[in-house]
Amino acid sequence: MSTVETSILNKIRDLSRIPDLVAQFAEEQGLSDDVVFGINVALDEMLSNIIKYGYTDDAIHEIHLRLTVAGPLLVVEIEDDGQPFDPCAAAPVDVDAPLEERKVGGLGIHIVRALCAEVGYARVDGRNRLVMKMLLNPETKKGSHAIE
Amino acid sequence: MQLSERKDNDVTVLEVVGRVDSVTAPDLGAKLTSILAAPPRRVLVDFARLEYISSAGFRVLFLASKQAGETGGRLALCGLSAKALELFSIAGFLKLFTIAPSRAEGVASLR
Repeated sequence: MSTVETSILNKIRDLSRIPDLVAQFAEEQGLSDDVVFGINVALDEMLSNIIKYGYTDDAIHEIHLRLTVAGPLLVVEIEDDGQPFDPCAAAPVDVDAPLEERKVGGLGIHIVRALCAEVGYARVDGRNRLVMKMLLNPETKKGSHAIE
Repeated sequence: MQLSERKDNDVTVLEVVGRVDSVTAPDLGAKLTSILAAPPRRVLVDFARLEYISSAGFRVLFLASKQAGETGGRLALCGLSAKALELFSIAGFLKLFTIAPSRAEGVASLR
């Protein structure tokens, strides 16, 4: 199978299951350590955002996620029933500000945008659907973040 | 994530093994806060055995760096992989931290 799916509850502790799932999928699909790093970071950023800010009640909610290898891309899909939130519309972060002026809010989305070739969002039937696409061979990515 | 610390002269070397993310970052933050709370307030975080770090990890490093700056402490990092350095670059954190290539150089930078 080139797809794996699971659901987690809207509890930060439940995120601890994700890296093992990613590791198993990566082994089956032969994904590189760098891609695994990127998937884990992207999932932690977006899932923790949903868990912390997505819900106005104290109820238990399920968040669905799916990983798919599609040609040159690794596709991460996340679906939740939280408040509408479009990460693509989030304000950019000034990562060049000096330490005393830095704010850490919004950094996760900034990182996800940089790691992904494409981030897409749609609100469908009262649910958020986020699709993140990463290149399996990132050296082909234009404008990648080289170390200065 | 597992943390282990040892002393190298005045410097506390904190080795981070595994994942630094939303689940584990609070533990790293608490450890850094406690090391920086007592003199000599010098800590080198060794990431040689880091699996990955997300913005939750950057947040606690950022707060530890501010704490160090306010209390006369010092913080440095070492052992970062190319991929981890790429994340630091994306986050704009390369220039906010002293980043040493090796543990020995990291300790030397804090003495």
